[in-house]
Amino acid sequence: MTQQNKNNHETFNPFDPAGMLKDVRNAQMEAWAKMMVDLVHTDAYAEATGAMLDTWLSCSGPFKTAMESNLTQTLNGLNLPTRDDITRLAERLTNIEMRLDDMEAQIDECFPRK
Amino acid sequence: MTDSATTEVPSAQLPSFADLCEEWHKAAEKAERFNRLITTDAELAPTPKEVVWTLNKAKLYRYIPQVEQEQRKGIPLLMVFAIMNRPHVLDLRKGHSFAEYMVRQGYDLYLLDWGAPGPEDKNLKFDDYVLEYLPRVVRKLKKVSGCQEFSMLGWCLGALISTLYASLRPDDGLKNLILLTAPLDFSDKTAGAFTRWTSNAAFNPDMIVEKLGNVPGEMIDAGAKMLKPVENYMGSYLMLWDNIDNPKAVEAWHAMNTWVRDIIPMAGGAYKQLINEFYKENRLIEGNLLIRGEHVDLSKLTANLLNVIAEADHITPPCQSEGVMDLVGCEDKEVFRVRGGHIGIMAGRGAEKNTWPHIESWLASRSEQ
Repeated sequence: MTQQNKNNHETFNPFDPAGMLKDVRNAQMEAWAKMMVDLVHTDAYAEATGAMLDTWLSCSGPFKTAMESNLTQTLNGLNLPTRDDITRLAERLTNIEMRLDDMEAQIDECFPRK
Repeated sequence: MTDSATTEVPSAQLPSFADLCEEWHKAAEKAERFNRLITTDAELAPTPKEVVWTLNKAKLYRYIPQVEQEQRKGIPLLMVFAIMNRPHVLDLRKGHSFAEYMVRQGYDLYLLDWGAPGPEDKNLKFDDYVLEYLPRVVRKLKKVSGCQEFSMLGWCLGALISTLYASLRPDDGLKNLILLTAPLDFSDKTAGAFTRWTSNAAFNPDMIVEKLGNVPGEMIDAGAKMLKPVENYMGSYLMLWDNIDNPKAVEAWHAMNTWVRDIIPMAGGAYKQLINEFYKENRLIEGNLLIRGEHVDLSKLTANLLNVIAEADHITPPCQSEGVMDLVGCEDKEVFRVRGGHIGIMAGRGAEKNTWPHIESWLASRSEQ
């Protein structure tokens, strides 16, 4: 057996699922990665992404609005708070929290702890 | 070739049925381990800390000191991370944590975690982060530390927030400012894919925010991953597969992947402002940025400044951080260039030998009262 054959015999592992493709993979990966980076840096890609996002938002918007409107009506009918009610409440709580924080600071200023 | 050779070689090359079963068993185990690693979370943020302040979703943590009082630095350090990721990357895993490193160097260390915005926070803007949250954080930090001066380290959008704060409140006691991969200057509209995408007329951030409220973490994550799609969607997992028998590499990968997977939304108001006022109009550098009606003048930034730039940063290209150096008003300023990417310079293998010691030594000489 030649040295080369011996080496191949030692490194080649037919039972590693990725092993057989590893050398090919490593060689291709770098070129592929570079190509993709170049692609996403083009204006054409930026425009396509922007247009796709725009289309998705425009198409999904009416469904979302209709669903939210129905849900709000249902919740109102059941006399339950809606998402907007909870959101407003949370905003008020944050404002109260800020005031409390300021008050605590003012108290600390008036009565500094030793 | 002799007869003996022809009979010996094939029998040596062909594995027995038992070997075959063992190999398949190993491969199955490897696949199982791989699956477990990509679907489970590692334990992050191991350095002991306590919450000293909260407001809405934001929390201020103080790391428990680990050195004697006389060995501690005179001025506390506040770390401000970005608003669209968890800050755990600053305290990634035991033995490889910037927070742990700084605490052991004797810093009274604080971490501001902005938290994940809810629907009620969709109108939060940089104005709120800079002039509502940060001054309160600083006030609390001063009270807890008993020190009127402090240092601040901002990373990514945290660096942007820190810069705005340092320019608007130069007399608040900020002595040292460290900026890590700070996206500040968007003059070059071809630098980096983010700038290209957001500068394109087809990209409409107002519509995104109008329809979605907060920008979903998945959208931000996909955008970041698409900057290097092959590396992020395939390369990372192949690297794990190749190194799955190396416990150290696996531990590092698992921690980083856990952090990457832990995505949070970004407040809609801040997102709109980031794209329109910073990326598109470059108002900070142009000198026409208003934060809650106050003009942001970079020449009023007088704190000592260390600007850390990642040379291979694909999220914040170096040119977005460099330009600010000529505009700031401080006399003691330094640019520190590090070989590495946006996250790698602080969380990569070389961070504890290169980036961390440099930051620490720069800060140590400026941390005496």
